Amino acid sequence: MKKTLVAAAVAVVVGGLGGAALAQQKPDVLVKQRQAVMTLQGKYWGPIAGMASGKVSPYNADVVSRNATYLENLAQMPWDGFHDSTKDEKNNRALPAIWSERAKFDELSQRLMSETSKLGEVARARNEAGVKQQFAAVGKVCGACHEGFRAK
Amino acid sequence: MLTRSPALAGLLFLLMAAPCFAQGDAKRGEYLAKAGGCLGCHTEEKEGAAPYAGGRALKTPFGTFFGPNVTPHPQAGIGRWSEADFVRAMREGRRPDGANYFPAFPYTSFTLIVDADLRDLWAYLRTLKPSTRPSQEHELGFLYRWRFLVGIWKWLFFKPGPYAPDPAKSAVLNRGAYLVQALGHCGECHTPRNFLGATKKDRYLAGDKDIAPNLTPTRLGKKGDGELKEFLRTAMTPEGDVAAESMAEVVKNTTGQLTPQDLDALVAYLRSLPPLPEPAK
Repeated sequence: MKKTLVAAAVAVVVGGLGGAALAQQKPDVLVKQRQAVMTLQGKYWGPIAGMASGKVSPYNADVVSRNATYLENLAQMPWDGFHDSTKDEKNNRALPAIWSERAKFDELSQRLMSETSKLGEVARARNEAGVKQQFAAVGKVCGACHEGFRAK
Repeated sequence: MLTRSPALAGLLFLLMAAPCFAQGDAKRGEYLAKAGGCLGCHTEEKEGAAPYAGGRALKTPFGTFFGPNVTPHPQAGIGRWSEADFVRAMREGRRPDGANYFPAFPYTSFTLIVDADLRDLWAYLRTLKPSTRPSQEHELGFLYRWRFLVGIWKWLFFKPGPYAPDPAKSAVLNRGAYLVQALGHCGECHTPRNFLGATKKDRYLAGDKDIAPNLTPTRLGKKGDGELKEFLRTAMTPEGDVAAESMAEVVKNTTGQLTPQDLDALVAYLRSLPPLPEPAK
């Protein structure tokens, strides 16, 4: 399972480098890849949220810094996976609104990239207060997009 | 209460004086208001909005409703209400002047709240800082503007009366049922509605497509108690998956504020529900 996830994440990075490579990707593979990115975002987000909310202590600035950097990079990766060719793929929770309200979806994906980037900055600066503030902003974008664009 | 003899009336008055004039407990009421998620609809959706001063828009297929100001301001809020007015609003869905509330105000659930809890809630509302923010008019489709039609709707779909504990079930399950059905009004989103906007009783908590998921064991059975409770406390799963905005707000204002005992009861009750199939795609 882990191996597949890592492989999928790598594939997404590689795929993102060239539009041509992506265009040839099969829709079901694109779905699997973007899901893998989401899974990994959860993996690195969980400890940040735990520590920033005080649920997990002590606060570990090294882990937060590393995870925030991973997250900042992962946040770039899901979007090309929501290719038009994947619109009719079954067995996933992406809602048709992603394609019918594309501008809103794109705006939220931009926001995730910019908010995780800010989180990365404060985390690498070992700014604990800044992380505790910025983590809420990132969580808000996650939830906003899960509201109208992911099936319940 | 009808009595013919003044002496009997006096005696009754003495007997009833204690419970009648018992002041609600505002501290308990504050907890109940959280368990009831009142803040969500009765507060504007912006940074620094006055709590309970109204303004949140609730979009429905029938139009957009705006939660009113429920602070004790005499003009802008409900400062001139009596406790009886409040009890009538919650139990019967009626305004002090007798007119019907639209069921966007979920009195279909709140009617189940028991008298003692209503008194405590009222006591709490009286302690809020009065706000001058005027309540907004609802923006409704032209067919739905007539409040008298709500009377027919209520006759069809609304049964007033407080929660009656099921003696065949444990105290924990009854507490959980009360939290979910009455205060938490979970079914208002997690139960699908018919074309007239009434919840379908035979699909209670079975989820509404794209609005809210199935809460019966069909879906939640796969999740452990620890995972469910963590989600209801933090709006996140142990895998780091983040809840959608609307549920995250419910977690922040309501489920995340419950005592550990109440959270246990809530989960125990959900576990006891009959498993209903997932909503059709």
